Amino acid sequence: MAALLEPPLLRRLEALAVLVRRAVKGQMGGERRSVSRGRSPEFADFRNYTPGDDYRLIDWNAYARLDRFVLRLFVAEEELPLSLFVDLSGSMDWGRPNKAAVARRLAGAIAYVALASLDRVRLTVFAEGPTSGGAPYRGRHAAQELFARIQSFPAGGPTDYSRLVSPITRQRPGMTVVITDGLGTSPVEPAIRALHHARQEGAVLQLLAPQEISLEWTGDARLKDAETGVEREFTATPATQAAYRTALARRTDEIERAAGRHGLRFARLTSDQPIEDMVQSTLRQVGLLG
Amino acid sequence: MTFLAPLAAALAITLPAIVALYFLRIRRPTRIVPALDLWPDQIRDRQANVPWQRLRFSWLLLLQLLVAAVLVAAAVQPALSASASLAPHTIVLIDASASMQAKDVEPSRLDEAKRQVGAMIDQLGPQDRMTLIAVQSTARIVGSGSGDHDALHRALNAIAPANGPADLSAALSLASGIVRAGEESRAYLFSDGILEPLRTSFANGLPFPIEYRRVGVSGENVGLTSLVVRAGAQSRAAYLRVHNFGQQPRSFTLEWRSDAGLIDVRSVSLAAGQAEDLALPVPDAANTVTARIEAKDNFRLDDSVTAVARAPRAFHVLLVTPGNVFLEQALRLRTDFQLDVIAPAAYRSSTSYAMTVFDRYSPSAMPDAPFVMVDPPAGSPLAGGAQVGIGRVRASDAGDPLLNNVSLQDVHIAKSQDMRASTFGRALITSLQTPLVLVRDAPFRQVLVGFDIHDSDLPLRIGFPVLMQNLSEWMLPPSVPSRSFHPDETVTIVPENGAKTVTVVRPDGSRRQLATGSIATFADTDLLGVYMVEQTVSGNTDRSWFAVNLFSDTTSQLVPVDRLALPPSKVFSTAQTNHRGLIQVWPWIALLALVLVLAEWLAFHRGL
Repeated sequence: MAALLEPPLLRRLEALAVLVRRAVKGQMGGERRSVSRGRSPEFADFRNYTPGDDYRLIDWNAYARLDRFVLRLFVAEEELPLSLFVDLSGSMDWGRPNKAAVARRLAGAIAYVALASLDRVRLTVFAEGPTSGGAPYRGRHAAQELFARIQSFPAGGPTDYSRLVSPITRQRPGMTVVITDGLGTSPVEPAIRALHHARQEGAVLQLLAPQEISLEWTGDARLKDAETGVEREFTATPATQAAYRTALARRTDEIERAAGRHGLRFARLTSDQPIEDMVQSTLRQVGLLG
Repeated sequence: MTFLAPLAAALAITLPAIVALYFLRIRRPTRIVPALDLWPDQIRDRQANVPWQRLRFSWLLLLQLLVAAVLVAAAVQPALSASASLAPHTIVLIDASASMQAKDVEPSRLDEAKRQVGAMIDQLGPQDRMTLIAVQSTARIVGSGSGDHDALHRALNAIAPANGPADLSAALSLASGIVRAGEESRAYLFSDGILEPLRTSFANGLPFPIEYRRVGVSGENVGLTSLVVRAGAQSRAAYLRVHNFGQQPRSFTLEWRSDAGLIDVRSVSLAAGQAEDLALPVPDAANTVTARIEAKDNFRLDDSVTAVARAPRAFHVLLVTPGNVFLEQALRLRTDFQLDVIAPAAYRSSTSYAMTVFDRYSPSAMPDAPFVMVDPPAGSPLAGGAQVGIGRVRASDAGDPLLNNVSLQDVHIAKSQDMRASTFGRALITSLQTPLVLVRDAPFRQVLVGFDIHDSDLPLRIGFPVLMQNLSEWMLPPSVPSRSFHPDETVTIVPENGAKTVTVVRPDGSRRQLATGSIATFADTDLLGVYMVEQTVSGNTDRSWFAVNLFSDTTSQLVPVDRLALPPSKVFSTAQTNHRGLIQVWPWIALLALVLVLAEWLAFHRGL
């Protein structure tokens, strides 16, 4: 199995952190600079100093030995519980590049940013129903395990967002990121509403393939739904193509409006975007990473 | 309604074929899509395959059936009967003379005629032929026996108006010549009826019936119909005739200018049908003078006229006479003659005179030059027989140009030498008894008068100085005649002795080179205005001018003729083969098909 994310990309991701707008209460310590005040005597990890860090945490002994600033991190009481919900339904297993593959990489990248900051990451994949990705991951060393886990889930089946309500509401307050194409027989709204009720500071990342945004074909076809297998005859004309694009835009707008209504961040991504471009540009613009 | 290509109706098979295609079911390739609910539930069957399906109503099907039906209708080429009666061979004579430039119908009479002929071309059936003949001063075939509509339209459009008259006789002769024996033909004359009188009687009839189609409605016109420059003892003056041919009084401005500049501007008012002669000054330095009016009428060709004002070159003429005041006065009327009068005893042979007039005297040796011999003495080489009494005097040929404006009706001659045996030349004026005046062209133009002027009342008639003028002009033609010519009239130019080049510069600036060796005829006088003749003699350039003006009351009158007396046809009936012309409507039907195709395209794109 090929590496989910390339090492150079991982190194660049270490400079980022998941941004939260309000104080979160985690089960364990982390490095939420803007939130934590307390300290734990339990040593956790070293990290390079970046401007803005509390200089009181600088390990001066290390500075004497290495001639560079290194922060000495302790297990604190604050940590960020980050939950990743990744859509691996049949509609995601489509497009060039494949949306499911890109969603796995994107989830891996966000998870790595959080793990590098000692945040706790919980992974859930969903299609017709949610499937847990195992116990929460914590620390940079857990990244490879998470990567392997996320790659082990196959894509397929219909999407039922209503079945996400239950696992979401069980979340402790924190950060939740949903990666989905927003396509499916059931509406996305109940899941978004559940995030709000669960006091999740979250983000909805809609991932679409370029081929479903700009149609590349015309003429007659028998359309087959990637999730349900239902078929229907269709003739692609300029008029029907315009009708499709209008329906897709309406669906996207509904998701964005629902996210906005419940205080969630929203970003629309296409699967032909490089992962680094998504992370460094789009997700920073919407304030998910910083 | 007639169908020119009825076999094309077989294409109607396309209609059931289109319907059959809609009965067939489409075999569609399967495409996996992420979310089927986003795709509109719309299906268009455009591709045939099995198995059959139930026919559903579709606007596209309806439009496609309509397009196919209209295309089939266009393919059979339906045609409506037109008003014109056409023979298998239609001959169209289009008057393209000066009067057809009148603008009483927009844009002009000629353009209106061309429009009507164009409509007739469109009505030609597939087997019909048409010949187009332009009727001008010389008739010419512009489109010959063709059934090709495009070629005929091109030939028709190429007909340009001329400034000359319309010679219908020549056009009818030409048309008669192109009709094959036994061929059914019919001719149409599109004209305003202002034509030259028929020269030929066509007594045997034309080999086709001919129909006159009048073009033009009004004769409202003011024209300048004459302009001459006369030299008096002290000065020169121009005499201009202005004529209002219309039914309405007219006031307009007359502009009078020479080649040096404007001389005078004056207002002129003319009642309906009134003509007025104006005397206008001519400056000494002027070579040409021009009169122009701004009458805002329907015809512009007679609104501007030009005359040559420069005095012609003088000739030295010798009159040898014991005394003849009539001859002397008649010769002195020529302002370009420098006349010497001597008694017969004083005569010495000389080559310095361009012409010599011998009155009752014959030298021992006749000069090698033009001369007039009047009543040669008995015993001289040119003398005739004994004197005979003369009865009625008449012209040998009434149409002889040497007798232009010469009336012989009241002329009486008491006696004359009997010239019947003379071999001098042809008779110009004759009687029952003997020829009276003989002329010859070679070796020089010479005249022999067989009677003493004093034995006749001829010198008392107004025709005598005119006759002398005609004869002297004929014998001594000016190098370049300074009078006005009509359009397309031939001008005789006699190159000066020793002329290296002779060039005519036309009013539009174009140049024509003429031969220098002999008398040249110049026929490119289709443009109105002043023509300049340049002759290079001994390194010097000698310039002279002549003018071309319309000067035709018949043309300027401009009233279109309602009924025209045309020669009869020797063909009795062509009713069997004549048929109505056809107006082809298929281009309009094809246009409708194009509109329907566009509608079908729009319907398809709007997903109807």
